[in-house]
Amino acid sequence: MNDFGLFLNGINPVLFIVVPLGFAFGIPLLGMISKKIVKWVPVFVYSFVLVGALSNIPDVLDKPIIIQIGGFVPPFGINLVAGPVGILFSALIAFAGLMVSIYAVVYIKEGPEVRYHILYLLLLTGAMGVVLTGDIFNLFVFFEILCISSYTLVGYFGNKSGIESAVKYLIQGAIGSSLLLIGIGLLYGLFGTLNMADLARQISSADPVTVFIPMALMITGLGVEAALFPLNAWLPDAHSSAPSSISAILSGIAIEVGLYAVIRILFTIFGISDFIMFFVFLGVLTLLIGEMCAFSQNNIKRMLAYSSIGQIGLMVFAFAIATSHAVAGGLFQMISHTLGKGLLFMAAGYMIIRSGSMKTASFEGMGKRMPLTCVAFTIGAFSIVGLPPFIGFPSKFLIIQSALAKGTVLFTILTGLVLMGTVIEGAYFFRIVQVIYFKKGNGDSERNEAPIAALIPMFLFTAVIIIIGIYPKFVLGILDSAASELLNQIDYIRSVLG
Amino acid sequence: MSLELLLAAAFGGSLLTYLLGKISSGLRDGFAVFVSVILVAMIAGLYGKIGAVTSYYHFMGLELTLRISPLSWFFAMAVSTLGALSVIFSLSYMRDRERTDFYYLMMLLINASMLGIVFSGDLVSFFIFWEMMSWSTFLLISYNRGSALAAGMKYIVFSIIGSMAMLIGMLSLYAVYQTVNIYMLSNLVSSASPGYLLFLLIVFGTAFAIKNAIMPLHTWLPDAYAEAPSPFTAVLSGMLTRMGVYGFLMIMYVIIGSVQTLNMGYGLLKFNYILAWLGAVTIVIPTFIAMLQNDAKKLLAWHGIGQGGYMVLGIAYGTNLGLAGGIFHTLNHAIYIVLLFMSVAAVQYRTGGERDLNSMGGLIKKMPIAFIGALFGISGLIGLPLTNGFVSKWLIYKTLILNGSPFLAFTALIGTWGTILSVYKFLHNLFLGQLPEKYKDIKKSPVNMQIPIVILSLTILLFGILPGLPLKVINSIIASFGFKSLNVTLWGIVSETGSLNTINLFAAILTGCVIIWLILKTGPKSVSASQENTYAAGASIPEGKYHYTVDFYNPFYRMIKPYLKDFMDIFYFKLAGWTQTLCNIVRKTYTGYVGHYVTYIVLFLAVLIFMQLKWSLW
Amino acid sequence: MQIIAMILSPILALIIGIFFLGLSRKMMARIHWRYGPPWTQPIIDIIRLFSQKSVTHGHLFNLGLILSLAGSIVVILFIPVGRIHPLSDSGGMLVILYMLLLAPLGLALSGGEAANPNTSIGISRQLILALGYEVPLLLILLALMTHYETISIVEIVFRQQYAGWALLSSPLVLSGIGYISIMPAILGIRPFEVVQAPQEISSGPMVEYGGPYLALATIQHALNLFIGIALFVNLFLGGAGNPLFFFIKMLVVFVLGIFINAALPRLRIEQAVQYLWRWPTLLALVGLIVVIVMKSVSAG
Repeated sequence: MNDFGLFLNGINPVLFIVVPLGFAFGIPLLGMISKKIVKWVPVFVYSFVLVGALSNIPDVLDKPIIIQIGGFVPPFGINLVAGPVGILFSALIAFAGLMVSIYAVVYIKEGPEVRYHILYLLLLTGAMGVVLTGDIFNLFVFFEILCISSYTLVGYFGNKSGIESAVKYLIQGAIGSSLLLIGIGLLYGLFGTLNMADLARQISSADPVTVFIPMALMITGLGVEAALFPLNAWLPDAHSSAPSSISAILSGIAIEVGLYAVIRILFTIFGISDFIMFFVFLGVLTLLIGEMCAFSQNNIKRMLAYSSIGQIGLMVFAFAIATSHAVAGGLFQMISHTLGKGLLFMAAGYMIIRSGSMKTASFEGMGKRMPLTCVAFTIGAFSIVGLPPFIGFPSKFLIIQSALAKGTVLFTILTGLVLMGTVIEGAYFFRIVQVIYFKKGNGDSERNEAPIAALIPMFLFTAVIIIIGIYPKFVLGILDSAASELLNQIDYIRSVLG
Repeated sequence: MSLELLLAAAFGGSLLTYLLGKISSGLRDGFAVFVSVILVAMIAGLYGKIGAVTSYYHFMGLELTLRISPLSWFFAMAVSTLGALSVIFSLSYMRDRERTDFYYLMMLLINASMLGIVFSGDLVSFFIFWEMMSWSTFLLISYNRGSALAAGMKYIVFSIIGSMAMLIGMLSLYAVYQTVNIYMLSNLVSSASPGYLLFLLIVFGTAFAIKNAIMPLHTWLPDAYAEAPSPFTAVLSGMLTRMGVYGFLMIMYVIIGSVQTLNMGYGLLKFNYILAWLGAVTIVIPTFIAMLQNDAKKLLAWHGIGQGGYMVLGIAYGTNLGLAGGIFHTLNHAIYIVLLFMSVAAVQYRTGGERDLNSMGGLIKKMPIAFIGALFGISGLIGLPLTNGFVSKWLIYKTLILNGSPFLAFTALIGTWGTILSVYKFLHNLFLGQLPEKYKDIKKSPVNMQIPIVILSLTILLFGILPGLPLKVINSIIASFGFKSLNVTLWGIVSETGSLNTINLFAAILTGCVIIWLILKTGPKSVSASQENTYAAGASIPEGKYHYTVDFYNPFYRMIKPYLKDFMDIFYFKLAGWTQTLCNIVRKTYTGYVGHYVTYIVLFLAVLIFMQLKWSLW
Repeated sequence: MQIIAMILSPILALIIGIFFLGLSRKMMARIHWRYGPPWTQPIIDIIRLFSQKSVTHGHLFNLGLILSLAGSIVVILFIPVGRIHPLSDSGGMLVILYMLLLAPLGLALSGGEAANPNTSIGISRQLILALGYEVPLLLILLALMTHYETISIVEIVFRQQYAGWALLSSPLVLSGIGYISIMPAILGIRPFEVVQAPQEISSGPMVEYGGPYLALATIQHALNLFIGIALFVNLFLGGAGNPLFFFIKMLVVFVLGIFINAALPRLRIEQAVQYLWRWPTLLALVGLIVVIVMKSVSAG
């Protein structure tokens, strides 16, 4: 693996980070030429990244792509590890990023547009860096890029509530980051290395109690962004005051990347391969609390935000079971949540613009006014609830299946609780669907559909939701190898360190 | 003709109907009828292929299959036929309504999902079709807006609870046996421990009990039936609800098998015995509650629950007579309840959606075909001899009495007498008595409504006189469950402990009627006179004011009303209220004050470290 | 042979029923210290009514009445009268129970089209009363069927002929008493004469009938009288070996009934139901439990 070459068979994953970063800094220059071009930059960039990520899939299924920056061999240099997990996430980030940037072309038309697009690129670059890096400090840096750009974007509209929730988010995020940094520092102090594979190799020989403190700090720190209960209090505020395009990314990408970091650290660095009861309970708790809060909401965006908490709970539950099926299910749930929730936020975004309010009651009669958007919303909702033939069904199916495969009474009861969460979830989503279609609006009932640039990403999301819902085998292959990468610490060490 | 093709036609047909509706409504109507009728023909043609299995798809590493068993053919036939009749009926009922395309899409989609359910050869397909049926039903129940929304919510919440229970059962089976194929499972499961089988019966039973509206899980049904568009209520009541019966048969007699199911538990606490008692309770209480209803559709809806009790009682009792009776009753009930809802729909169509029993009457002169439908329908519902309902009830009663369960038999029998009261009120308040002034110029129901009504009325009579036709198929179903076949002739059941011969009955009644008619003919010819003419002996009275409908059984109501509240419904509403309160309390954890949030983070870290020190989790 | 029986048994029933009608009027009159009409009076009435013109209210008005009468006749074909039971192998007790529904339902349909409020009230009362006495009646019949382990009425009669009357046998005595206590309600005589109640609702369901219709309704009434008593004789008094003995048993039961009818005032419909659901139901319930217990004891 001394080959430095930028072009292996697919496009080099380094470019997934470098190209967006470069364009992010190039945007101000382009903005001087024409403001019109600026909003197409993210579209262009993420089309490229998406193609790149997809082109790498055949290779990584074979063996992970390891890239050493600057030619230093791990553990001495910074390296990128584009295994199945990394490529899976980068494809997901690129797809969601591309769709949302198309959406944003028309959606973002007031406020500091140029800065929006810079920050948007930075946010996704951060996310991409987190999922691709093989170095724990590097992970921290990318994580900070992600967080800081998202604090800013939450306050994008500059109104009072936006600034307030951005500040709240900032305070909690900053505490999380510092805990993370302390944890990383402790690890460095203990082992003298920041390379994840190297850490993983050495950690088994260390005293568990000494290792535990950095682990607890890192989990708590990352848990803030990953929206674990009770560290997720920033989320409803941030999601509801951010522009809908950003809510879609925050919900679909940012918190999932946070969760990715948590499981990467737990599984790969600390080598926890048995199921973790604490996280099983935490997942169920997060799920139930998220769903219950969502149930009592009548603000659409807050409702969707709480629903994201519930979905995160389901993923944590899946990962904590830690069998290869369960982890695959958790990853699958991430995909389905990104698609479903992204679709819901995008659809809701224009419904909010048309009705002028975030109150669910104001959506009465929307089904007549914006039929296509409403169909998209409905399909997103059905998918999140886990109804066939949408993508939410196979992912939930996989998780429940692996939970029951444990075969103990305790897990059967926990599964029952998880499914109770689904019942609540179904109740509030179906309530919204009823409001949209079966209540007569009292306002104007003219047909006023969302613009075509917003409908295209919605349509593509819907298509993917249905296609993968019917043919889950499109993603099952990569999910299985991603799950085995996550669970198989020794292979990871071997492939990185040789 | 393969099953995939059938389902492809069913699902594709529904989508195509929707698209055609965008072009022209006439084309859409024609195509909807065409699709639903062609499905009937296709399924009828499948009769010879019973036992065929096709593997159509691989989903998540599972092989999904379709399969025709006698049971599924029987249900599919009923589903498709009643579906086709309802579509035909809808043509004029839905003509001037909004979102007609959507209506037909959902109607046909529900039909297709039901066919998918009964032809599923594995539990995953079963579940997928089941869920598709649930959400599309939800959309169609909510179609009428207004109070339909609450009905739809109630339905879907119950429905999700049921499917989640089923999901647990299905995936636990998969986890244990590594297969979801129903017929492989049926070989494997028989060796499982009784505790595990009981768990399976309970989780699957919950799902099917909700769908079949068995007490105390019935409360979604009255509202859903009453609020759904009437032709769809026919489908909903006729077959959709009875997918629960299919499910019970599948889990009890196909997957687990009769030997295990019927020996679950001890003495009076046997599973099937408890289920039979639930069925019995479901017969009695809803039937009496039906008497108190003043809404035509709600009255029928409560009977829908009550009749579901007969089916469950029959199949849970677990004798060959009971099983045959339960299955046959499912078919019979579907026929007459669809007919009754169609009659109500025909009346609604002409009276502008009126379904209040206190404000109508005398429509027999204006809508004779609808009246005939209602008359045959209630006769079947009561189970008068010569109607189909009689034969199936007879089978159930007979086994209950002869196998020594007189109290179960009592509940079943008293249910019939309770039925008479309310259905007579239904018939009387709609069609008999005096015609209110405002309906003087009402027109007959349109032809496309009359056709299904007439067909179904004749079917009731046909299966009542020649019950051997369906019983032959039912015999092969119970034989496939490992029960002894009944000794069935075309017109009855022969047995040492009491036979039934319906053709003799028919002949006797017919002869009796003809003779009496001839006697009446020989007397002086009678003069036709209006009621106003005779009532006051020629003196003038105001027209249309002497109609006794309001609180038809008032003295009796006063007696029973306090005892017949739907306590379960009240309880569920309370439960929903508590859940809402609990949710609000939980939401308070997010105080909005960032200081608290920071405390949470610190506390989380502290708890994590504390737990490690105390219990060393890692 | 069967054909003859089929013709014979309804005619026999008709004669007995009409005789009972006449007899009841005569006896009532004598109990009231009046002279009363001759016992042939109902026959004379029926013949006279057939020659009168009448009013009809529609097809269902005619059809309902015909159906009701036909239903009663068919029931008679199922009930053993002595040894005559032409149709009993086509169905047993359950068919009888259900065929018994045709008579009131037919009248109810017919009366419904007559659109007279008195008729409707009468029908409403009729159906409530029927529900009232069906509760104990069903329990009683179930006790019988459980005890004899058959749903065939012929079998029940046959078993009694060599094991003694059910009324006097230890497991069924309570059921028998229960049946006696609800028989006035089944026959529609006082204190349960709420359906017709001439003074309140002008004979209720009968009010719109005249001429041949009234004649048929009277015949129907006579047949119902016959059926109610014949069932009791068959189920609890062991039936009879020939029609003559059967008639004598019926006569005894009927005369006892007349005395009750003459001595008691009419109840309100709620009072009637309350009565029926209290003591007779309790008796019937205990009777059924006794039967079950004794069966399980004897089975070991």
